[in-house]
Amino acid sequence: MFFTAISTVAITLFMVGFFLIIVYDVQAILSSVKSQVEVAVYLKDNATQEFRDYLESEIKSWEEVSEVVFISKEQALEKFKADNEGSDILKEIQGNPLPASFEIRLSSPEKVEQIALRFLTKEGTYIDGVDEVIYGQNYVQKLFQITAIAGSIAFLVIVMLLLAAIVLIYNTIRLSIHARRKEIEVMKLVGATNWFVRIPFLFEGFFEGVVGSIIAVIMLFFISNYLLIRGEKAIIDTLRVKELAILGSSNVILYIYAGIIILGGLIGLLSSSFALKRYIRV
Amino acid sequence: MNMIELRNVSKVYEDKSVALKNINIGIKKGEFVFLVGPSGSGKSTIIKLLIREIPVTGGAIFIAGRNICNLKYSRVPQLRRNIGSVFQDFKLLPNKTVFENVAFALEVIGRPGYVIKLQVPQVLKLVGLEHKMKSYPHQLSAGEQQRVSIARAFVNRPPILLADEPTGNLDPVNSEGIMKLLSRINLIGTTVAMATHDRNIVNSMRRRVIELEEGEVIRDQKRGVYGS
Repeated sequence: MFFTAISTVAITLFMVGFFLIIVYDVQAILSSVKSQVEVAVYLKDNATQEFRDYLESEIKSWEEVSEVVFISKEQALEKFKADNEGSDILKEIQGNPLPASFEIRLSSPEKVEQIALRFLTKEGTYIDGVDEVIYGQNYVQKLFQITAIAGSIAFLVIVMLLLAAIVLIYNTIRLSIHARRKEIEVMKLVGATNWFVRIPFLFEGFFEGVVGSIIAVIMLFFISNYLLIRGEKAIIDTLRVKELAILGSSNVILYIYAGIIILGGLIGLLSSSFALKRYIRV
Repeated sequence: MNMIELRNVSKVYEDKSVALKNINIGIKKGEFVFLVGPSGSGKSTIIKLLIREIPVTGGAIFIAGRNICNLKYSRVPQLRRNIGSVFQDFKLLPNKTVFENVAFALEVIGRPGYVIKLQVPQVLKLVGLEHKMKSYPHQLSAGEQQRVSIARAFVNRPPILLADEPTGNLDPVNSEGIMKLLSRINLIGTTVAMATHDRNIVNSMRRRVIELEEGEVIRDQKRGVYGS
């Protein structure tokens, strides 16, 4: 019975913790991707230096903007050459067909559409000197939708998993108390006080909860160290994001571990206490 | 003063079945009383009321002059330490030896180890089981198991011993042994109340008989027999 209770706690809380870490990591990846959202403002070749300076200082004054980089026609060509090195396309380029541009990085990526709209006139055409504004319209919208939906689904799943864990642990502990109901009955009949009966069971429930959750944390530790940190590198390479705050490598995971152990102890203690109520009133 | 006194006691269970109607019983210190009557007449209900396993619906119960109906829940263990109780199904713990089963009653009320080592063998000698201290309940006969349960009830030397059908699972020879034991415990000065429907036992003992029928006392007789 003792072993059953400990393994129930270990397995259920492991599931809760594992999902929690996955969710946190997915959120971290998504927000890294979000921070990559950029607005590219391509300038007409006839745009004057004056207009350029004016536009740059204007963009810099917007509070949603974290960084503005000017890329001249020459820089654009160099970058294009570097990106397509060895490709046939380079042979076909004559002169410099590439426009100069501003690349705008945002501190609040959700505002990307509003920023892009500022380059339009009331008639819906681009303002003078601006050729085109590109920010991956469809892609950005979907990304934000997915993030929001994923967030609420994840929250629901965590709540469900936690409830399932509580119910399973409670039932296991209740069964182990049920198996000893005769002992409780005899104790009460010969005049044991309620606390005398209760304390060993409470201690046992607490102990089972803490030991089980420590086992869960040990399993989580290995999983997050070996699998997630390796996965992190792969994700950085694939998505070309610069940094990823995923848990295997951050301090937040220590709080999750501590939380799981405290939760385990509490669930064990409270389960015992509630399960005892039925048997102690003899 | 009566050791046990029931004044206008009635009991209605949660399912509305009426177990006791306006019962008045007084039992003096050192008395030996049989509660007799058919199944469902209310004998076991009285035993359960006396150890506050269930609450009364009406009336009052006094034990040693104290009304136990308004006893705080936290004082119930104290009451039970002064009442030994014995049941038809013995209620022994199967994974404990005879010694441990009896010692358990002292452990749960916080008696120190040296008291346990002294008192348990004494009481086991009284019930004639000093040679089976290390046996487990399943290694004993039904009669011996009931002796262990009496030893457990009496090890704390309570002034009252209640027995609910203690011979219900026993053959006549073993039953007689149990009755001799209860008589001895009574002779030491313990008040004994025993619920039974064993006609032969009641008739051979010639003690006070209180007969119940459908929750009412229909006869209370000194040196009585089971029924007419």
